[in-house]
Amino acid sequence: MGVALDGLVLGLQLALLSVGIVFVYGLGGVLNLAHGQVAVAGGLVTALLLQAGQPPLVGGLGGVLAAGLLALALDRTLLQPAYRRKGEERLLLALILTLGTSFALDGLFTFRFPNLALSLRLDPPSVELGGIRVRTASLAVGGLSLGTFGVLLLFLKGTRFGKAIRCIIQNEAGAWLCGVDVARARSATLFLSGALAGVAAVGQGFFSYLGPDMGPEFTILSLIVAVVGGVRSLVGTFLASLLLGMVNALLSYWVGTYLTWIALLAVAVATLLVRPEGLLAYWP
Amino acid sequence: MLEVENLWAGYDGMAVVRGVSLRVDAGEAVAVLGPNGAGKTTLFRALARLLQPLRGSVRFEGRSLDGVPPHQVVRCGMAYVAAERELFPQLTVLENLELGAYVRPDGVRRRLEAVFDLFPRLAERRAQRAGTLSGGEQQMLAIARALMSEPRLLLLDEPSTGLAPRLVAELYRRLDLLRRRGVTILLAEQQVGAALSLCLRVYVLKNGGVAFEGPSSELRGSAQLRSAYLGGA
Amino acid sequence: MRAPLRAVPLVAAAVVLAALPLWLGHSPYQMRIASLMLVLASYAVAFNLLFGHTNQLFLCVGALASLGGYMSVLLVRDAKLAPGLAVVLSTAAAAAVGGFLSYVSVRRGFGVLFVGIVTLTVSLILHNLLLGLRELTNGETGIVTRGLGLGLGDEPHRAYYAVFAVLLVALLGYRWLFSSPHGAALRALSEDEVSAELSGIDVTRYKVACATGASALVGLVGALYADLNGFISPSVYAVGHVDIPVLIALLLGGMRTLLGPVVGAALFSVVDELVRPFGQLTVLAYGVLLVALFLVFRQGVVPLVERMARRAWTALRPARAKVARTEGEVAGGTEAGG
Repeated sequence: MGVALDGLVLGLQLALLSVGIVFVYGLGGVLNLAHGQVAVAGGLVTALLLQAGQPPLVGGLGGVLAAGLLALALDRTLLQPAYRRKGEERLLLALILTLGTSFALDGLFTFRFPNLALSLRLDPPSVELGGIRVRTASLAVGGLSLGTFGVLLLFLKGTRFGKAIRCIIQNEAGAWLCGVDVARARSATLFLSGALAGVAAVGQGFFSYLGPDMGPEFTILSLIVAVVGGVRSLVGTFLASLLLGMVNALLSYWVGTYLTWIALLAVAVATLLVRPEGLLAYWP
Repeated sequence: MLEVENLWAGYDGMAVVRGVSLRVDAGEAVAVLGPNGAGKTTLFRALARLLQPLRGSVRFEGRSLDGVPPHQVVRCGMAYVAAERELFPQLTVLENLELGAYVRPDGVRRRLEAVFDLFPRLAERRAQRAGTLSGGEQQMLAIARALMSEPRLLLLDEPSTGLAPRLVAELYRRLDLLRRRGVTILLAEQQVGAALSLCLRVYVLKNGGVAFEGPSSELRGSAQLRSAYLGGA
Repeated sequence: MRAPLRAVPLVAAAVVLAALPLWLGHSPYQMRIASLMLVLASYAVAFNLLFGHTNQLFLCVGALASLGGYMSVLLVRDAKLAPGLAVVLSTAAAAAVGGFLSYVSVRRGFGVLFVGIVTLTVSLILHNLLLGLRELTNGETGIVTRGLGLGLGDEPHRAYYAVFAVLLVALLGYRWLFSSPHGAALRALSEDEVSAELSGIDVTRYKVACATGASALVGLVGALYADLNGFISPSVYAVGHVDIPVLIALLLGGMRTLLGPVVGAALFSVVDELVRPFGQLTVLAYGVLLVALFLVFRQGVVPLVERMARRAWTALRPARAKVARTEGEVAGGTEAGG
């Protein structure tokens, strides 16, 4: 049905968010709790550009770029003290720093742009596909997400830099010894994660609406997915995104927002207690 | 080729290496010996820039390594094989080796052949995941990977760890071969015997400082000297 | 000489807090702020015990408080229980939940971060439960608690002194705990759990006991808050409203100190009031404060003041210190001088 397709598309968007956060964890050893706000920043920039009369493509690209640059800025400034440490200390420090930043950004966005929202309408609003009524937005966002993932995959498998990234995830020290500039790769990864989040935000604008206060929601959702999919597994995270996206859409349709949240959170807790490495974790 | 002067290095402000000076000339094989905790690994990590020295200078081929980030060290021609090996466990032997050539991407085929020639066991296992290799094979892979960047100086931290005596002898035969092919070697060892057979000069570290430096024949010859510095190895 | 000197800060703080209403008593608004400050201080004392001393990153202080608050209100409203009994029961419930979480975490050997994530998730689940069970809790609209408690909300002085009493008892309990043999055990535990376990300290028992006690405190204060605030809703107990200010207050005041939570809560309340007119910027301020504190000033005010006081003390009595030192040397250094 239409809801199931919506769920799949939602899953793809969730994947854009979650893959970014897991990427950064694998490469940098830090969990970016301001991830949701980075996405929102992208959406807000797009909204501002559209308001200023720019065509949608420019607005979208601008938003994606802005999100990427914000994440990059975080890496170059705030996360440096964390990078100087190792392991759990690094993670804990980064957690608190990004948590504080998420609050700061949240406050900034809701204070400065309380009424700004990104909401894009497509014409026609829905089409008929094989007898099922499908929202054009779903198709657009689905296509956008898949396209982005395609590019990402090509980048990771095909380029020398992509290879370097994959090896850093497995052994940071080994990567330094092979001559890989780990610090530069980390910054690039953060930029990437931000850009992906920006795409998700723009997609959300097509899908329904993106507001300045949706940062925490995005962060929590991507963390739930990361937990279920396994923080060390990109494939697991991708699969978990699709699964949880579907669950989210179907449950929201049947039982409402709060119970959906409780269900998703409960799945996360269950995963943490039963199989902490992630229910769907798989290391290729 | 390598000049270390009054190097101080350590962790969290505590110095482990205290004022070490050493010298390695091109074509030499030099050993750094000493008991556990003497500072051998800390010294090597400082040389490879994985650790920022607290004081002192390191010069490689006349150039100061001050402020050089760790990933540039390989580019300068110095490769470090850590005691922990630091391999990529999910990648195959071949992929690990290819990554070793990251800074020098042309001529990879040729170097792969040379490395497989030197370590035929790796050639047999080229499609196997590095994490599933035996200790000895992992050690060989770590060295082979370092060789893929065509280093002029090879730093080896305790290469004989976890290897059976027969494999240690085999390993050192290969290191000798490398030296004769022009690769300068600086290694740290706990097992004195093999190191002394390969290296003509030794430094003995004790409590972070150089307790002895001289020809290995001197150390080999005097049992008293050996027991005094190395605790009768 | 040392022991009575040590009691001075606590006595001074108690006197200042007890006398505060004399200064602010004329303004119900300011009294309310003061009461809220004491509430925050109490939460912070609990969190100090949890995270500062036993490494249990319980990001569910707000959730435990909401358990105390909602349960006591609902027991009075729907089960027609006496308010006193309701408060006792909800405190017990919060203690049980906290103790349970701690027990599971210690038994399963969860790391600090893991505990943080699990407790945070539990907090969010409880938050959404409160929002979702509309018929029971009225959701986001909340419940007016007038007449459903001990009447703390009717009189600002009553509210203030009720929380003050609880806080004082908590601080005295903390002081007793750390001057007893348990104090040494807890200090060893917070440094290195494995070594502590090997030295014969029952780490599980200490951690669970501390968690249970701290959770009881949080639950109790949560119930008192419901009473004095006159109104509760899921958002007044939310993570951003409770756990984050508690963390900031504790960082500001100084972890693992007696008065750190109190000083931190006082400073935080002042800052909060200053930023209040700027609306949403309070959230921004929280964020900036958290980052700045953690990067630059992680120790907190109380240890800083202690250090300055110690330096001033030795500067003012150099002759005495020197004499004491030489005496100590002569005696073979068997007694700590001064």
